Amino acid sequence: MTGWPVPSAAPSVARLIQELNKLPGIGSKSAQRLAYHIIKLPPDEAHLLAEAISVVKDRVIFCSRCQNLSDTDPCPICTDERRDATQVCVVEEPLDVLALERTHCYRGLYHVLHGVISPINGVGPEDLKLKELLTRLDGTSVQELIIATNPTLEGEATAMYIRRQVGQLPLKVTHLARGLPVGGDLEYADEVTLSRAFQGRQEL
Amino acid sequence: MGQPRSFRTEGVVIRSIPMMEAGLMVTLFTREWGKLRAVVHGARKPSSKLVGHLEVLNCVDLTLHRGRPGNLDIVSQAQIVEAFPALRMRLEGATGGMYMTEVVDGFGAEGSPNQEIYQLLVQCLRALHGGAPREHVLRYFEMQVLDHSGFMPELHLCVDCREAVQPGQHLYSPEAGGTLCPSCGIKGQQVYHMSVNALKTLRYFRRSSLEEACSLRLEPQLSRELTNLLSGTLKFWLDREIRSKSFLERLA
Ligand SMILES: [Zn+2]
Ligand SMILES: [Zn+2]
Repeated sequence: MTGWPVPSAAPSVARLIQELNKLPGIGSKSAQRLAYHIIKLPPDEAHLLAEAISVVKDRVIFCSRCQNLSDTDPCPICTDERRDATQVCVVEEPLDVLALERTHCYRGLYHVLHGVISPINGVGPEDLKLKELLTRLDGTSVQELIIATNPTLEGEATAMYIRRQVGQLPLKVTHLARGLPVGGDLEYADEVTLSRAFQGRQEL
Repeated sequence: MGQPRSFRTEGVVIRSIPMMEAGLMVTLFTREWGKLRAVVHGARKPSSKLVGHLEVLNCVDLTLHRGRPGNLDIVSQAQIVEAFPALRMRLEGATGGMYMTEVVDGFGAEGSPNQEIYQLLVQCLRALHGGAPREHVLRYFEMQVLDHSGFMPELHLCVDCREAVQPGQHLYSPEAGGTLCPSCGIKGQQVYHMSVNALKTLRYFRRSSLEEACSLRLEPQLSRELTNLLSGTLKFWLDREIRSKSFLERLA
């Protein structure tokens, strides 16, 4: 593990480090590690990575119905006629759609907010795809809105805000159950999780 | 050098940002160290035993490992001391809590403890959780944060000519540092007209307990005036708007 001149990296390397450093959650140390990882990749793989980045920027768009990222508009989920158009599940991020799809237990549609209300981070309701949700719900056949934001302070506040916004519409608004993780241990669960799990208990 | 590798403290989680590989970066306002940023490895994995404890607004007992120089400290253990569930289950409570964490984030400094503000934050979160009137709690909180940060505005004398301000004859300027008499006020740039009731209420919030402050009657007009005066003052000292404020206003 020798030979990488970290303090005075070549300008091209320094530039890569600088760009990686701009990504969320990547500090300068991680940026350096990633940069040197990329340098060590076989040329083909490095070019695939570069190409994937530029293609995604050219091709990906927001689905005009659900706001999910897609190569087509509407996206494959919105155009799938086997799906139940009376249910819409609201999630924070596109990755959440993938996670829910993997469960194979939901056959309705989605709406992706692309974030949560987080004043401290400068994100207000107007920065989310909320207007699009309200427009979409107005006068459609949607009967149930399932709010699946994360059980964090900001996710919960966003859920409560949406509930208030759609209050006038003839809709059933539900929320994913919150409780103990599968494989979790009661002993290590925090008080908030435990009390929510208790409140959400079901008859066996 | 002689510092122990790990240390223990109590703090309120004021901010939390996802990091690579299911990690989390949390900002805490701690009793012993002031504002402190730390990394929680693997926090967002469902198997994590830490994440529920480290939710924003929780007051937690923490054990941290000192990071290497230039790196953040690492949370190794966390246990809730006090959670405020009733606060986060109501939109008004949650936004009130968000607002206070943003103020503390703005006024707090890393490595600079302020036990008074720490106690105040916990006390005000507890009050909101217990259903205390939000506007009272927030105005009291702002006033006390200013006081404990050394930015308490003058509320008795004209900050310019040092004469005692006469009832009903006072202006207010965050820039100038407090009340002004009408003749000195003309020179100032940004000056607020201040009612007698607003002046009396601010004086009272400075010396009263939170319980006493909450039992005061605040007419909507007075409440709005206090909100403007205090947010103008916070904005002046922080050199920016508290972003949660516009969200609070939208819900009002
Ligand atoms: Zn779609
Ligand atoms: Zn004067």
